Amino acid sequence: MKKIILCLLVMGSLLGACEKKLDQLPISEATTEQFFTSENDFIQASNTIYNDLRTYPDRQLNLSETRSDNLYAVSDGGVRDWEGINSFHRTIASNPYVIEAWATNYNGIFRANLMLSQLQLNGDIISDANVRTRLEAEARFLRAFFYFDLLRWYGRVPLIDKLVSPPEALEIGRAPVSEVYDLVISDLQFAIDNLPETYPAAEKGRVTKNAARGILALVHMTRSGPTYDIEGPGLGVNEWGQALTLLNEIIASDKYKFLPTYEEIFAFNNENNAEVLFDVQYETGFNPVLGATFPWLLVPDDWFRSQGKPVQGGLTIRPISKDLLNSYEANDTRKAFTIQNGYVYNNVVESRSFFVKYVDIDKVPVNRIDWSINFIVLRYTDIIMMKAECILHGAPGTQADVDAIVNQVRNRAGLGPVSNVTLPQLMEERRKEFAAEGLRWHDLVRSGLVETVMTAWIPAEDVQHQMQPFNKNYILYPVPQSELDVKPGLYTQNQGY
Amino acid sequence: MKHFQIQLRGLWLVPLFLMLIISSLSAQENPDQKTVTGRVADSTGKGIPGVTIQVKGTNTRTLSLEDGAFSIKVSTGNETLVFSSVGFEPKEVPVAGQSAINVQLSNAGRTLEDVVVIGYGTQKRRNVTGAVASFDASNLDERPVARVDQALVGQMAGVAVKQTSGALGKGFSVQVRGTGSITAGNEPLYVVDGFPLTPASPDRNGNYATGNPLDNMNPNDIEDIQVLKDASAAAIYGSRAANGVVLITTKRGKLGKAKIDVNSYVGYVERSRKLDMLNAEEWIERAKEIIDAQWEASGPGRTASQTNEERRIILGLAPGQVNTSYMTDDRWFQPGHPGLRFIDWQDEAFRKGLQQNHQISASGGTENVRYYVSGNYTRQEGMVIYTDYTAYNARANVEVTASKKLKFGLNLAPSYSIVNDPGVEGKDNIFHQMVSFTPVQEDTMGLYPNVGKNGQYQWSVSPNSPIGKLQYTIGRTNRFRTLATVYGEYQILPGLSFRSTVNYDHNDNNTKTYIPYIVASNLETRNKDLTKQTSGSFSTLRRQIFVNENTLSFSKTFGGVHDVSAVAGFAYNSDFVATSRIASTGGFRSNSITTLNAAYDVTATTNEERNVLLSYLGRVQYSYDDKYLFSASIRRDGSSRFGANTKWGVFPSASVGWRISEENFMKNIGFINDLKLRASWGKAGNYNITNYGSLPLLGNYNYVLNNAQAIGQAPSGVPNPDLSWEKSNTVDGGLDITVWNNRISASFDIYRRTSEDLLLNVPIPLATGFATYLRNAGSVRNKGWELEITSRNISQKDFTWTTSANLSHNTNKVLSLVEGQNQILIPSSFDINHSILRVGEPMYSIFVVKQIGILTQEDINNKVAMYGSQTVGDPKYFDANGDGQIDADDRVIVGHPNPDYVWGITNRFRYKQFDLSVMLQGQWGGSIYSLLGRALSRTGQGFTDNALGTYRRRWRSPDDPGDGRVSKAYSTFGRIKNTDWLYPSDYFRVRNITLGYNLKSAIKSNAVQGARVFLTLENFWGHDKYKGGANPEALNTDLSGSNTLPEPGDYGGLPLPRSLILGVNFTF
Repeated sequence: MKKIILCLLVMGSLLGACEKKLDQLPISEATTEQFFTSENDFIQASNTIYNDLRTYPDRQLNLSETRSDNLYAVSDGGVRDWEGINSFHRTIASNPYVIEAWATNYNGIFRANLMLSQLQLNGDIISDANVRTRLEAEARFLRAFFYFDLLRWYGRVPLIDKLVSPPEALEIGRAPVSEVYDLVISDLQFAIDNLPETYPAAEKGRVTKNAARGILALVHMTRSGPTYDIEGPGLGVNEWGQALTLLNEIIASDKYKFLPTYEEIFAFNNENNAEVLFDVQYETGFNPVLGATFPWLLVPDDWFRSQGKPVQGGLTIRPISKDLLNSYEANDTRKAFTIQNGYVYNNVVESRSFFVKYVDIDKVPVNRIDWSINFIVLRYTDIIMMKAECILHGAPGTQADVDAIVNQVRNRAGLGPVSNVTLPQLMEERRKEFAAEGLRWHDLVRSGLVETVMTAWIPAEDVQHQMQPFNKNYILYPVPQSELDVKPGLYTQNQGY
Repeated sequence: MKHFQIQLRGLWLVPLFLMLIISSLSAQENPDQKTVTGRVADSTGKGIPGVTIQVKGTNTRTLSLEDGAFSIKVSTGNETLVFSSVGFEPKEVPVAGQSAINVQLSNAGRTLEDVVVIGYGTQKRRNVTGAVASFDASNLDERPVARVDQALVGQMAGVAVKQTSGALGKGFSVQVRGTGSITAGNEPLYVVDGFPLTPASPDRNGNYATGNPLDNMNPNDIEDIQVLKDASAAAIYGSRAANGVVLITTKRGKLGKAKIDVNSYVGYVERSRKLDMLNAEEWIERAKEIIDAQWEASGPGRTASQTNEERRIILGLAPGQVNTSYMTDDRWFQPGHPGLRFIDWQDEAFRKGLQQNHQISASGGTENVRYYVSGNYTRQEGMVIYTDYTAYNARANVEVTASKKLKFGLNLAPSYSIVNDPGVEGKDNIFHQMVSFTPVQEDTMGLYPNVGKNGQYQWSVSPNSPIGKLQYTIGRTNRFRTLATVYGEYQILPGLSFRSTVNYDHNDNNTKTYIPYIVASNLETRNKDLTKQTSGSFSTLRRQIFVNENTLSFSKTFGGVHDVSAVAGFAYNSDFVATSRIASTGGFRSNSITTLNAAYDVTATTNEERNVLLSYLGRVQYSYDDKYLFSASIRRDGSSRFGANTKWGVFPSASVGWRISEENFMKNIGFINDLKLRASWGKAGNYNITNYGSLPLLGNYNYVLNNAQAIGQAPSGVPNPDLSWEKSNTVDGGLDITVWNNRISASFDIYRRTSEDLLLNVPIPLATGFATYLRNAGSVRNKGWELEITSRNISQKDFTWTTSANLSHNTNKVLSLVEGQNQILIPSSFDINHSILRVGEPMYSIFVVKQIGILTQEDINNKVAMYGSQTVGDPKYFDANGDGQIDADDRVIVGHPNPDYVWGITNRFRYKQFDLSVMLQGQWGGSIYSLLGRALSRTGQGFTDNALGTYRRRWRSPDDPGDGRVSKAYSTFGRIKNTDWLYPSDYFRVRNITLGYNLKSAIKSNAVQGARVFLTLENFWGHDKYKGGANPEALNTDLSGSNTLPEPGDYGGLPLPRSLILGVNFTF
């Protein structure tokens, strides 16, 4: 019996030591408990908000460029995810591109809200008040930017401006478009008031005061677009004047230039040039990868093969529409830069054309997801052409101002001057200036041209009879099916889907 | 529970245990004893070694020697001796004052007196009250099975073993009584000689990325396998027992002279079937059909009758140029197709591979030491060229009886294996590419299109030749694993003993891959970049599992009729995994060096994880007069994986049994030898989630500023501090009966298992920033029945025939999900979702549009519902919601993945020196949704890919509509997930036929105790209905693209191998 008692005593004394072993912390991962305890943590948290911009370029190419009359991307030897987007399939609520836009923007909004909440709770850790204010302004700019992107794709979306738990989110339905805009405008206004105009060289890529002005101008212009009787981004208000004021402030800041040639805007060795107000930044050679994929997104693999380059993943061709090809005037230097007219590979001829605007064949990376080139979201040419658009909509200014802007752009493209430029002419000029930059669909919607242009274009272009007829419900994308399924009745689907 | 906690802590008991050893060595024996001697023999008079001889009601026992002789001490001479040995009917003999007793034992098959391992102890089969399935593994050395799980196929009711891969050395998927968990895994817990090996679930690809518990385990060393199916049997392993427990017992030495066994076999392995694809002529016919149709659709005035030359001129191409979308190859239709080679890629890639296995083992024992040592070498050439598996195994099981009260032992099993597999199974891997590879190629390239200096045939798909990839790619995995157990057992008082075990499982894997540039990229890039296109990697996995268990066992019979046994214990379990990976970047500098020192640059990463499990356990068993049986157990487990306040779970169970045949009123019913009713209830747990799933983790999400890296960290998910155990409640009723002079025995069980508080990744609005979070929610029910029958049909001197059969039925159903949700769609990496969790339906139900025939012009005139721009000859779909068009809303549940019925039947015949056993096995009632089938026969598929043989009977014209199921080759409307790629998973297979001949009588030497030759056909014949793939159970590709709702499926699984071997067993 003595042995048993001894045994029990020893066991009892060792009791506590074992149970502590149940508190295992990750060895190779960090936890949030030790985070937001230094200024550097806040900077890192800020960088992650920018991280959610990384899929923005691909999204614009997939959802705007492919949806528009710029591409006739029907299937060719296989059915691709972009086909439903291009051909107005009604059943795209589960399309990965449609889901991605919702998911990434809200992840960015979450990270921005986390930053704003932590600045309130622990902001004192940051000793420099300027840094603190700047971080808040950056977070609010990016939150507005993500919401604006959501508004343009889906119309009404859930409005979340603070951290919410899963049960709380299950009670938040889709807010009216105007309420989302209210947050977007107040965030951007805060950003304009508090962001610096420039950063030290090492910080290049962070958002600036003028970027905020430019996006807010675009917001006002988008709100001023027609409503189409859907709950979309256009509210039919007249804010062209507010937009023009912001655009003029940008021009007056004298921080940007209209570059003399088209090519140098997009040159791999000319990033952060004077045209750039806001871009998404990439670089090659990091681990984890921080490069881009948008350069090859619309480019067929066989073309890279024909150039002696490894395939990139664009798979089959997403051809440029005949309509866009034919709309270029002769001698338009932008065409040759932007477009590759077919190729021969292995003696097999591909005669259709595709966009190669961001491809420098000498800069093809070994890793296909690691292109080094930045994606310009907002550039100076856009600012002045937006100004022309505001004037044509009745904001202060003259037809001569409009003509001068358009002719400046045409002149760089090697084209002769025009006069008495109308809105459709301006938008047509934008179509070629910004081809493959992901603006086309938004331009069509904002200008009120989308119904007439698409309704005429589809039957003319669709010789293969694979597209569905256009209707105005397709101005918006469907709410992702996964979101409708989370809690039936929380969100309603957009009309027409 | 408090009581337990005090008694049963202590990983640190080992030193204490050593103290006890020392103190016990001085114990003295009682001098006032008499000695009884004698001999135990079988029915032929031959001595039986290793028979346990016990003085009834005491703990005094001994074992018979090699010649059957024994000697045992008794105190009064009025005791009764109990003789028992595996394979013989036990016998009780009163000593009645005699000093010499000779006993004859009669042979028996598996009897009710057999002792079965039940987890932390053993029990007589007759007294088992839980649902336990047994598998006698002693004949495994006659089957060419390289893995233990492979041997279990079809053997036990309620245990479904799926051979999910045809590749070498891969783990099987084992499911006991269906699938109860959505996210947290459905594999059972394996316990080898008392050592619980950490359960591993297949990853979202269906692979065991961090190793399978049965990897490298030598089946020839296994004596016996028990599967604890219901919660009362399994709950003693509480925390991890929700999916059943598989107890594996390895061979031990028996008392007596050394016995040496030599087992060898040699044979071949080959594919059991081929995937039916179009041959070259059929591919050409289909390609022409598609190209002509594309040509006609490409513009006005273009007709199929126009020649290639006419088309070239219309297209404005230079001479020699072609547009393969619109033009065929003229050589296709020329006699002898000059310059082209027709290739059946599957025939080129498969072979008969040589298989061999050699084992030698020695076992034996004295009163003080018993041992079993073995060495095994196995080598298998794969049925796919350039693949092979080699393994070296050794095992030593040694047990030392240091004194009457003290025993200790060591089990040690080191093993080393090498697998060469360049990545054959899975999407875009070699088998998938092989079956879809264009069967027409340029003759000049041989079997190597797009390899080295070869370019690509213009009408061909673009990957590198699958033969080239098999030949030049290196994919080698080395696995070194050691299982070690040290244990000691000390008898504190008669009937009360203490046991402590220290177990260690060390697994070191490394995988080397090397893909030379000659089988990478395309010709132009290869020529330009050369070895810059070469890539390689080296990854390692180290897994260290440490388990210490300490138990106190008590066993005593009171008043002759009250049998009580109890066990209580404490266990500590730590599981550590470290991984690393180095990969080349920017190619290699050398064309001859395959290691990473020749890489231009490398990236490297390492990762480490640990989890800890603490357990307290206890069990009481009571039987009254072997008639009324009762058992109850409780286990309390704490896991580091769960939230701060919810780490602990309590898992109780209880069971009762009634041996009706022992009642007096039954004694008159002569034909019933034994009849037992059983009932049980219990709760078991499941914790198979990631190690840190409840914690708020940060992830790295970087950005670039001014071409420099800007490091970012943000939460990677939604933490859940309340995360806790998934629990399953099982009720089980069972009946065991033996009739007609023990000729027929049967066992029937009916059960219901309800799994609740599932560890479920619940969808939440993306507006939170995340798609899902892990919480306890929902419940799933499995219910079913199982029947096992063994019958000795004929039992004569020269001829015996026995049949064992099992049949089990299981259905599962989702009872609830999260509040307010009645379904969760499983995400899909490929197009829209095709699987669903819906309340009231089986888990992972298949949810697709129904194909109901082929569209006719009449259908179109009648405005039947269509999907997009469909035309005549395209498939017709069922408009489930009646809205006049086909879309994703028309998906309906069309099947479920788990089979309804699983069965196996083994017949054994013995005629004089010959023996024959035939084992059949199969299942029915389940479905496969095949993404491989979809890849090989999708609507809108281009002509370059080869297509399934089903296309032979496709719609060609209204006058030639084919079989009415397969639509035309050229379609442009797109595709939707539909029943085209739904196949029944029903199959039956002749798993094993073994014909043996006993040579003993032909060998006169006394040195040879046993000799046998045998011929085995493994998996030789079978039938299934899976036209879209080669193996109805294949799992190799991540279909959901989601860690949170994993759905592995078939996207290129190899057919199962079949083999023929010739072998010999010698015993010296």
